[in-house]
Amino acid sequence: MQIQMRSRWGSWLLVGAAGAALFYLAVIPTPAQAPAYKAPKTKDGKANLNGIWQAMNEANWDIRPHAAYVGPVSVLGAAYSTPAGLGVVEGGEIPYKPEAAAKQKQNFTDRLKLDPEIKCYMGGVPRSTYMPYPFQIVQGTGTVMIVYEYAGAVRVINMGAPTKAPADSWMGWSNGHWEGDSLVVDVTSLNDQTWFDRAGNWHSDALHVIERYTPIGADALQYEATIDDPKVFTRQWKMSMPLYRRLEKNAQLLEYKCVEFAEEVLYGHLRKQPLQGKGDSK
Amino acid sequence: MRHLLSSLIALAAAVMFVSAPVSAQSQVTAKPAPAAKAWTMPRTPEGKPDLQGVYSNATTVPVARPAYLGAKEFYTDENDKVESAKAAPAGRGGRGGAPRPAAAADPEGNGLAVHYDTSQFGLGGPTVKRAASLRTSIITGPEGRVPPMLPEVAKMVAERRAYQQAHQWDSAQNRPLAERCITWGFEGPPMMPVGYNSTLEIVQGKGYVGIVQEMIHDTRVIPTDGRPHGPAEIKRWMGDSVGHWEGDTLVVETVNYNPLVVIQGAPVSDAAKVTERFTRVDADTIQYQFTVDDPKTWVKPFSGEYNMVHIDGNLYEYACHEGNYGMANNLSGARATEKK
Amino acid sequence: MRNKLALVLAAAGMMVAVAPVRAHHAFAAEFNEKAPLKLQGVVTKWELVNPHSWIHLDVKGADGKITPWMVEGGSPNSLFRNGFTKESLPEGTEIIVEGYQAKDGANRAVGANLTYAKDGKRLFMGGSAPGANGDGK
Repeated sequence: MQIQMRSRWGSWLLVGAAGAALFYLAVIPTPAQAPAYKAPKTKDGKANLNGIWQAMNEANWDIRPHAAYVGPVSVLGAAYSTPAGLGVVEGGEIPYKPEAAAKQKQNFTDRLKLDPEIKCYMGGVPRSTYMPYPFQIVQGTGTVMIVYEYAGAVRVINMGAPTKAPADSWMGWSNGHWEGDSLVVDVTSLNDQTWFDRAGNWHSDALHVIERYTPIGADALQYEATIDDPKVFTRQWKMSMPLYRRLEKNAQLLEYKCVEFAEEVLYGHLRKQPLQGKGDSK
Repeated sequence: MRHLLSSLIALAAAVMFVSAPVSAQSQVTAKPAPAAKAWTMPRTPEGKPDLQGVYSNATTVPVARPAYLGAKEFYTDENDKVESAKAAPAGRGGRGGAPRPAAAADPEGNGLAVHYDTSQFGLGGPTVKRAASLRTSIITGPEGRVPPMLPEVAKMVAERRAYQQAHQWDSAQNRPLAERCITWGFEGPPMMPVGYNSTLEIVQGKGYVGIVQEMIHDTRVIPTDGRPHGPAEIKRWMGDSVGHWEGDTLVVETVNYNPLVVIQGAPVSDAAKVTERFTRVDADTIQYQFTVDDPKTWVKPFSGEYNMVHIDGNLYEYACHEGNYGMANNLSGARATEKK
Repeated sequence: MRNKLALVLAAAGMMVAVAPVRAHHAFAAEFNEKAPLKLQGVVTKWELVNPHSWIHLDVKGADGKITPWMVEGGSPNSLFRNGFTKESLPEGTEIIVEGYQAKDGANRAVGANLTYAKDGKRLFMGGSAPGANGDGK
């Protein structure tokens, strides 16, 4: 009798536990703990990363964990203020050298003059990944192209034997390979002109980024970027965030050729006749 | 201004003619039909023709046929090309190879012009790979040139030119699009060969063909499922392109251009439709054909054709706006000149 | 009937499509054809940017004073295709620049001809880097 009861309750417990475990594994995967999601493959046997993706976080304002704070332009009021963000820096803190930390603070103070985004300069790597606009991965054989809406930036990732850049560039030089279902991209030869965000977090031309794009669901990738810059940081550090597929039926990249939106700020002082305040809406 | 214009034309002609004859590494293909030698069309994992690679679409073929060639669409051979060039009248739009004008302040007659030496930087010179061609012009057909514009469009173009002359240094926004680093003007579509850095890269993913033009890193990601175009309210600098496969040819149709876009000297209207056809014709060559159909601008459609040839090497970043010291320098120079 | 607004807007963007090497340079406004110059100096920085590259050099005057100049050159992309890299013009190289000075009087010039001071050879001569295999790799 007792044995029967024990086994009946026991089997219910077992079923319950198994159900809970399955529920947990199926619905709440985290990249560190869950069994790897098995992504559908392209016909040449690689994880299929084709699609239009976008980050959904506050990293472009400030990659560090932060409460909301006031923006730098008072007439724009709350519309250009910085929303709170959990941060995308693993461990929360960017390991600046002391003089580099001071420079970040100065960048922040001068950000209206210095932020390359205001001038429509390309966002570099990794900022282009998490600017709040979509990008598209076109996964070819031998090369993978990533096209970004902002300023029409583009990268072509070499998937063959690694090659070297002749000089620095805004979007760097990318050599990629597969590790299981992860696309791993080694990015070198980045110039020192880009920032990590609008808050003045910066790097030198020694920046070396290793990116990983890993499918974690049918419509999500996990993006990780390891940052190595011995001129600016005391050690390597890492950013991590999900990227979400744009699911609209007609999802497509649109043009964001922003040069014409930056011309007044860059060249307005060289006009033949000043604009006399006609440039801004009242 | 006319002097500047003609010296620029002459410079362009000098660049193009210095670069002829074509380097020995190209094969001569007499006609646009695919080569007879046996080869198999390479295919992507999806089974589509594989167009991927880095290409040069540089050419010595002019867009419009020189008038003295009449209706001749093809030279018979390379020798015919050389002989015909001798018969060209000198100084006619530079086609006869008018020499670069010496700068006013060049007492030693070194032939310096107020410009860096393009050949010193390998721009447009003999190291550039070009598909061989016996065509007399990119624009096909007996006329070999763009048709006339509608009279009201020609009038508007002339008015704009006059306005431009009077206001050309007023501000950055008065400068040409290429000088502002917005578009180079050769991305099109239709894509046209450029005098230098005439390079593009094609990457094919499932359901899309991506084409990057080196100048100004302009990329089209063309869906190949023949879906409808996007909203007509969204005008684009490179138009709205949708593709589909007809046999082994990629056919791309583009509409909805930004009204500031110019094709062969005329602004594009909202009725414009450009059709392109990409066909791989051998291991190294893609045949590129285009038709411009804009009934509000040209009296009839016109078409063109050229080949692009694979190059070993990379597309390089052309971050134009980011390095555009010239805009500030030009405006500063113009302001300084006005003060004098 | 064409849109009048488009007329005004497009006047700003209008370009005459005359030639592949075209008026994006507008050198008539930037540099003074009546101010030819010859500079000899030591390279301090080579900016391999587009649309034009810039060579920065320190020029020592007759009085021994050092003046920094910047000299405009062509797009570096073809140099890359011919095997040249950022190492191809090291800091400290002494060069001679023949060109024209900026109209706004700045220490800026377009370099119509660039040669090495030590042997008079043109920079990037022959169009191909020594030992390059021509494919930029």
